[in-house]
Amino acid sequence: MLLAMLISNSEGNILVERFNGVPVEERLHWRTFLVKLGGENLKDAKNEELFVASHKSVYVVYTMLGDIHIYLVGKDEYDELALSEVIFIITTTLKDVCGKPPNERLFLDKYGKICLSLDEIVWTGVMENTDKERIKRLVRLKPPTEF
Amino acid sequence: MAQPLIKKDDDRDDESEYSPFLGIEKGAVLQEARVFNDPQLDPRRCSQVITKLLYLLNQGESFTKVEATEVFFSVTKLFQSKDNGLRRMVYLMIKELSPSADEVIIVTSSLMKDMNSKTDMYRANAIRVLCRITDGTLLTQIERYLKQAIVDKNPVVASAALVSGIHLLQTNPEIVKRWSNEVQEAVQSRAALVQFHALALLHQIRQNDRLAVSKLVSNLTRGTVRSPLAQCLLIRFISQVIQESGATQTGDRPFYDYLEACLRHKAEMVIFEAARAITELSGVTSRELTPAITVLQLFLSSSKPVLRFAAVRTLNKVAMMHPMAVTNCNIDMESLISDQNRSIATLAITTLLKTGNESSVDRLMKQITNFMSDIADEFKIVVVEAIRSLCLKFPLKFRSLMNFLSNILREEGGFDYKKAIVDSIVILIRDIPDAKESGLLHLCEFIEDCEFTYLSTQILHFLGVEGPKTSDPSKYIRYIYNRVILENATVRASAVSTLAKFGAMVDSLKPRIFILLRRCLFDSDDEVRDRATLYLNTLGGDGAVVETDEDSKEFLFGSLDVPLSNLETSLKNYEPSEEPFDINSVPKEVKSQPLAEKKATNKKHPGLDTPLAAPSTGVDAYEKLLSSISEFSSFGKLFKSSAPFELTEPETEYAVNVVKHVYDGHIVFQYNCTNTIPEQLLEDVTVMVDASEAEEFSEIASKPLRSLPYDTPGQTFVAFQKPEGVPAVGKFSNNLRFIVKEVDPSTGEVVEEDGMEEDYQLEDVDVVAADYMLRVGVSNFRNAWESIGADFEKVDEYGLGPRESLTEAVNAVISLLGMQPCEGTEVVPNNSRSHTCLLSGVFIGGLKVLVRLQFGLDSSREVAMKLAVRSEDEAVSDTIHEIVASG
Repeated sequence: MLLAMLISNSEGNILVERFNGVPVEERLHWRTFLVKLGGENLKDAKNEELFVASHKSVYVVYTMLGDIHIYLVGKDEYDELALSEVIFIITTTLKDVCGKPPNERLFLDKYGKICLSLDEIVWTGVMENTDKERIKRLVRLKPPTEF
Repeated sequence: MAQPLIKKDDDRDDESEYSPFLGIEKGAVLQEARVFNDPQLDPRRCSQVITKLLYLLNQGESFTKVEATEVFFSVTKLFQSKDNGLRRMVYLMIKELSPSADEVIIVTSSLMKDMNSKTDMYRANAIRVLCRITDGTLLTQIERYLKQAIVDKNPVVASAALVSGIHLLQTNPEIVKRWSNEVQEAVQSRAALVQFHALALLHQIRQNDRLAVSKLVSNLTRGTVRSPLAQCLLIRFISQVIQESGATQTGDRPFYDYLEACLRHKAEMVIFEAARAITELSGVTSRELTPAITVLQLFLSSSKPVLRFAAVRTLNKVAMMHPMAVTNCNIDMESLISDQNRSIATLAITTLLKTGNESSVDRLMKQITNFMSDIADEFKIVVVEAIRSLCLKFPLKFRSLMNFLSNILREEGGFDYKKAIVDSIVILIRDIPDAKESGLLHLCEFIEDCEFTYLSTQILHFLGVEGPKTSDPSKYIRYIYNRVILENATVRASAVSTLAKFGAMVDSLKPRIFILLRRCLFDSDDEVRDRATLYLNTLGGDGAVVETDEDSKEFLFGSLDVPLSNLETSLKNYEPSEEPFDINSVPKEVKSQPLAEKKATNKKHPGLDTPLAAPSTGVDAYEKLLSSISEFSSFGKLFKSSAPFELTEPETEYAVNVVKHVYDGHIVFQYNCTNTIPEQLLEDVTVMVDASEAEEFSEIASKPLRSLPYDTPGQTFVAFQKPEGVPAVGKFSNNLRFIVKEVDPSTGEVVEEDGMEEDYQLEDVDVVAADYMLRVGVSNFRNAWESIGADFEKVDEYGLGPRESLTEAVNAVISLLGMQPCEGTEVVPNNSRSHTCLLSGVFIGGLKVLVRLQFGLDSSREVAMKLAVRSEDEAVSDTIHEIVASG
């Protein structure tokens, strides 16, 4: 299960968050933890450089893209490698939607489309689509080309 | 819901940085949402408003019930629009709003219509939304469509139905399980993602049917797996099948070849999954491990941090069971110590600490020193714990490891980190006698500049116990007295107690201690003054060099002879009156610990929190208890008390366990009984022991328990005489006999005065040879072996018959003798065919015994053992051989 997907700006303001199977009372804890983790490690990071951590049976993979920080938390089958796969799709799609690694302004300009794309990539904790071209079409309710 | 963590900065200079949602307000957006009701819909405008609503929701804004309902109703109007972009937004918005059950009905018909639409994409999205908001009844209505969707030729529709199935399986398993034929068909799909989702769902549907899972796995390993993701799933299912098949031998291990082939797959994800699956096989051989370790080693030098992390994490796990298999990777691992990602570096270090040999310790410590300065406390704690284990493994290296610990103790760090270091030093002091003096001095230096009151007081207490036993106790006094001058009241009070302990234990120091204690009489804190006064009076404050009598020592420093929880209960029940509280009224019976709690405490390494020299404290308490019973007071010194052994099943009417107390010429069974029935009071509780299968024992005394009320543990004892100094063995069968009286649970009053006599059958208890052996370790076995000399050495060889593994044979002999394994030799490297195990202990009569066991395993799994015993008495060496020969 992909427990959480969190996107924030570089100052730690939450832009998008999706929790699955995380009790409401634990969410603030996760949010604070992830933002702190990113604040400590992403400062001098390169675009799309992956960072990874684990705590007991839970994995965290996070990265930076433009001015945006992206965090994924997973457990069981969503281990560090699966999460890195998901984060790769997210970064590719974000670049595709925004045309370049986004700053906060650009991200918010494309906010609607980004929400739709994320909805196609991860749906309630399960990875659903992995191909950016297909995601691009699905967001516009166009059927995929390859079938 | 989401809360912005930091308030947004409203006045930024840079124009381009302005958020398009700047100044957004919920009220205004809700007003804007009225455009959804316009007869002429503007799709663009509507999409913008939905985006704003999504932003608000993501920012943690919550809508009231009325607001949410209003928005939801308005959004449903948008189904009239044929605009694709807007329709996609509507689907998302409905999912985000998660309408309540009574509102769902409003959209159901629109969604059902979309589900049967000719437009595939409407179908896919409608399925996802319906499955998100639906309940069981609606699900039966749409089940037919979902089953069709699973086998739809459009992969998006099929995936939507399959992923919905994965979610619905949690809430409506019986419905989803009916889809297995369709899901099975979808597993054969040519679309990679459909296959992946179908595989995941099919496995979940059939996870409790081992045969079906095994069949599914067999089919897929022969067929085509279209994506690395699906292949990873398959590998996981294979691991499960292998595990459940229980095969531990290479020859009959199914699917190993498939896993091995996956190590050459082009996707890293698959390679890693296969490697991990191989390392986790139970009883994996080194031949099986090698290819997996080789690929993991390659990953260690990958440019991708995630791969490095995954590899080092897996190798770290392997190192726990098969340290030798990982040693080849040590060079790569050493280069990871400087990895930018601290998680990777920490894992690399802890792995190296597990796999390192004695000669590499110093080099490793040098590398770690540089590393420690720039990692967070939680990583440092992991490293400290690994170093502690390493030191216990290689006691001869204690000097460099202890120095390392003391160095890091001086550096900055939080409480948990400092506590981990102090705990480690304390454990090393306890387990490695040579490390004692230097360890104590390190602790003394630490409290000179310790900001944590808790740690200071704990260390002072520890110093009080261990310091007086060192060769030169006077050197600690300065550190302790400095606390009285410099610290807060809590630490000062502890320091006074510690000083008094030195005074009581070391007669030559007494006059000087008294001078210091007298100074404390003028302290500003009353607890400090009270303690000083108490100690001066009890130890005889006239300053003469006299021996402190045992009673005073016992009074001042002996352990409290009542369990703290009982004291707490008694104090709570005590009502203030003329009559002072009497500590003798506190029951001394120890409540037996619930099993779960016991497990938790057993796992913990004893640090400062646990009483010092825990086992002996337990024996002290027992000794005190037993000597207070007149029938047993003449038995002499208590040699050993066993751990409690349960004589009843858990959750029966009466819970009884037994502790065996061994004396030179006697043995006492202490039966700890608990009555778990609130309606009963038991009286005259005794245990009738049948010793017919214990010929050398004769019962000489029995001490019944007068009354056993509900949930208040009590004890009854039975004592036996046995030949002096002889490790007599036997089996004793037990019967609990008591008079049961009915009581009113609400008042606790006895309802019927005449009780009934009843018997209650208990399990048997055995007295075995191991009961006559104390588990006492030595830090350096070779030195101890040489110093005890070969005068009474006895060597013989034994055949132990066929065994599953050497580990089993080693454990059997260790538990037969009840001795302490030394230098970690109880761990047999996997698949080794020979092993040496070193044991030490003290036999009844206080005689030191050392044992060297050499095991060998032949091709037919027959185990041969060479047993060499050295002890301080020839008879004891013979006895050890007799025990093994008869065991």
